[in-house]
Amino acid sequence: MIVVRQKPLDEICAMIAGHRRVLLVGCNTCAAVSLAGGETEVDTLLQLLRLTNKRHGTFCELTPAVLQRQCEPEYIDCLQEGDYDAVLSLGCGAGVALLASTVGKPVYPALDTLFIGSAKGLARWQAECSACGQCVLGMTAGICPITRCAKGILNGPCGGVSDGTCELGDRPCAWVEIYERLDSLGCAENFDTILAPKDNTTRQICEWDMSEGCDEK
Amino acid sequence: MAITHTGRSIQDDNRDGRLFAPCRARCPVHVDVPGYLAAIAEGRFMDALEIILARNPLPSVCGRVCLRPCEDGCRRCLLDEPVAIAALKRAAADIGVYPAPRLARPIPGRIAIVGGGPAGLTAAHDLAALGLSVSIYEDKPRLGGMLRYGIPNYRLPDYALDRDIEYVLAHGIEAHTGVRIGRDVTIEELSAQYDAVLVTVGLQDSRALPIPGADKPRVLKALPFLEACANGESMDLGARVVVIGGGNVAMDVARAARRHHADQVRVVCLESRDTMPAAAHEIHDAEMEGITVHCSWGPREITGEDMVEGLRAVRCERVFDLERRFAPVFDEETVKEFAADTIIFAIGQGADIDELGLPVTPRNSIKVDPVDLKTSVAGVYAAGDIINGPTKIIDAIASGHRAAASIFRDLTGQGDTLESLDQESAVLGKVPDTMAAKVETRRRIQMEQLEHWDALHNFDEVELGYTEFEASREAQRCLSCTTGARLAVEKCASCLTCTRVCPHGAACINMGGYLYFEIEACHACGACVSQCPAQAINLETVSEEDLSRRVQRKLADRGMDTSLVFSCGHVPDTLLEAGPDFRAVQVSCLLRVSERSVFEALEEGASRIVFTRCTEGDCRFPHAQDLVNRRIHHIRKMLSEAQMSEAFLVTAAPDEDSETGVTTP
Ligand SMILES: Cc1cc2nc3c(=O)[nH]c(=O)nc-3n(C[C@H](O)[C@H](O)[C@H](O)COP(=O)(O)OP(=O)(O)OC[C@H]3O[C@@H](n4cnc5c(N)ncnc54)[C@H](O)[C@@H]3O)c2cc1C
Ligand code: SF4
Repeated sequence: MIVVRQKPLDEICAMIAGHRRVLLVGCNTCAAVSLAGGETEVDTLLQLLRLTNKRHGTFCELTPAVLQRQCEPEYIDCLQEGDYDAVLSLGCGAGVALLASTVGKPVYPALDTLFIGSAKGLARWQAECSACGQCVLGMTAGICPITRCAKGILNGPCGGVSDGTCELGDRPCAWVEIYERLDSLGCAENFDTILAPKDNTTRQICEWDMSEGCDEK
Repeated sequence: MAITHTGRSIQDDNRDGRLFAPCRARCPVHVDVPGYLAAIAEGRFMDALEIILARNPLPSVCGRVCLRPCEDGCRRCLLDEPVAIAALKRAAADIGVYPAPRLARPIPGRIAIVGGGPAGLTAAHDLAALGLSVSIYEDKPRLGGMLRYGIPNYRLPDYALDRDIEYVLAHGIEAHTGVRIGRDVTIEELSAQYDAVLVTVGLQDSRALPIPGADKPRVLKALPFLEACANGESMDLGARVVVIGGGNVAMDVARAARRHHADQVRVVCLESRDTMPAAAHEIHDAEMEGITVHCSWGPREITGEDMVEGLRAVRCERVFDLERRFAPVFDEETVKEFAADTIIFAIGQGADIDELGLPVTPRNSIKVDPVDLKTSVAGVYAAGDIINGPTKIIDAIASGHRAAASIFRDLTGQGDTLESLDQESAVLGKVPDTMAAKVETRRRIQMEQLEHWDALHNFDEVELGYTEFEASREAQRCLSCTTGARLAVEKCASCLTCTRVCPHGAACINMGGYLYFEIEACHACGACVSQCPAQAINLETVSEEDLSRRVQRKLADRGMDTSLVFSCGHVPDTLLEAGPDFRAVQVSCLLRVSERSVFEALEEGASRIVFTRCTEGDCRFPHAQDLVNRRIHHIRKMLSEAQMSEAFLVTAAPDEDSETGVTTP
């Protein structure tokens, strides 16, 4: 799932300042699961913005809405006719982008999109994938070096590791973890394989059409 | 939400499903017990009273003297002790204010009710509320039946009975007292004047044994004796009184005799200690007042020349035969003399209905169809003890409801206004072991009572009732069975947050990957509700909208500097941190107060929001502490981003005994 988190309030306020009618749009898929863009968070942000407006003596009409998924055109259709002059999206980057290309009004992100991740209990997530387009998890026992190694190196660890901790000090060294997991799986020899540089053109893919090429005879 | 596009319509599952908490299922009128306990737990006594009145028009009476079948079923029985359901009903009636009666548009139809006991009062209430014109005919000078002339004042004082009767009569009911139907006016005459006649005359005949000496002066019967007590007559019973009988009435008679200065009061009964019909707590209370109970004795003769000198009794070896039929066996050789100046029979009540001329059963009760309570005389119905035999107040109330529904159906053809009270409903099973292990043990809060020896000098009420604080605390023991989390599946985002916060594993994932709630394991703490991003979960008892409305009401006439205090316990009259002008909203747990509620209240004009936290020992939902901490942290963070940190305060709960956080003016 895509993990998101709310931006600082002043950043949000600065974006929507000057608009008089703003639609707050949540997303009931990843953003809701990230506890940042569901109906509850839309309502909460809306109340907080109202309070801020009142305090600063500014006026802005705020309307809440929640879509099942902001990154699907069919779900967005219902927003076309709304009486508003800007949209504040509580969806991930994809949601913001699709809204922006559809509604014909300025769309602002209320959230920052962090990573593709997995849940680690209540309200905690682990970054797992950077959508690099060339998955190497099969060689690294399911731990992504691009995502979890601070340098994103394909053959680690680097010299910065000490006691299993990354030199940044905020995370365990991904490569140490990869080694330990491979070892526990009896595949430590994977470690001896030097991974070839990745074909970075996959990172450049900007559209994926599954039916591409099917009209060629 | 102005615009939603979550695909499907939003429906609460199970809301109408008749799954009852056992307390509610066992109550003959199915009062919404968890509903009113939740209201009391939040200090909302008026709401509680309204919930009770929807089913039971006599809460002040039942709160004191109901025999409380609900409590035997309480799911807390297996954990520690049942919740004090009846005492809390009393708290609602004593502390809450009775609402103005809700009356339907008047419709044609006149009903006569014969007898102003609980059955008659209930039926009168129901029919008058439905718009019919109702008159009660009562033989005695005042209404109430056994509630006034049977149950002694030390258990049910007149003022407490009158509160309920006033409420019932406020529905526009006419009461004619001092009229004995059958003698002063006949049933036929009533039938000619009214569209329906309901007979609820109860059992007015007090039984005695035809043993030698039973005709002596100072040999009394229970009901006339209790009636004389109720009328405040002073009586000289002598120093030694023997009461014959082993039921609750015998205990009432014995305790009343103690209050007439009898120093030695003995209760003599046929049954053994464990088969006595009197409730254990009634026996206990009698013994605490110095009364002694002598079991397994069969009265043979009242001795003495002109005056009573004593009771001669023989050993009773067995009361019932193997088929549970009354067939006492005596050992005539084992004899005991109980010296006495007065002897009172309290061995049961019977019907006194010859004058009415209605068809009777072989057991001398009025013969009715058990479903619609019609007698064989057209337009005449009967309800209460006169058809059920000696039962309890709450059975008489249920019977009154049933008769009213039947009469209304016959007169108007409409049956669904008064829903049948005995519809089949599933009953929630016992507390699962996993949950039982995690619910804190908390003993019932004992109600303050007159000291037993002080109580003996008069008929003052012995039980003094809960204070507001005690009532809320006691109500917080309720597990809120069946009133917990309801999931709107179509709104659910499957984030699984609920499964992560529920301490009892009530939120479960089914084979298809969808969420559902195991109702048996939910005690409505609200942790999942407040964490759900999709607002897909609601608590049946208290919704977010209810809370918003309460906040709005509290702030309606706010001043320039009004604080709003949210608390999961009782809030004292002064609270230093909150400043002089504060309004308090009591919630079942601070978890129920979301970020949104806080911001909303600030927007409504509160200048400050205060959370008063419970102390660890008092906490009803210990697992929620961590979630409340997170919530507080989050609110602080958001308000600090909005440069409004000063608008939110968190304090420790003011302790009941100490002065922490509390100033006394
Ligand atoms: C001493 C005693 C203590 C009790 N304690 C409890 C208790 O603690 N808890 C509990 O749940 N139950 C208790 N009960 C039982 C309970 O009081 C009865 O079940 C209940 O009152 C029956 O209600 P009812 O309306 O059918 O009859 P009643 O309460 O007997 O009312 C009948 C009314 O009809 C009137 N009446 C009779 N004949 C006529 C007539 N011909 N014309 C006009 N009016 C007439 C009577 O005067 C009376 O007011 C007790 C009973 C007694 C006797
Ligand atoms: S815990 Fe509450 S709802 Fe459950 S049975 Fe007892 S009183 Fe009723």
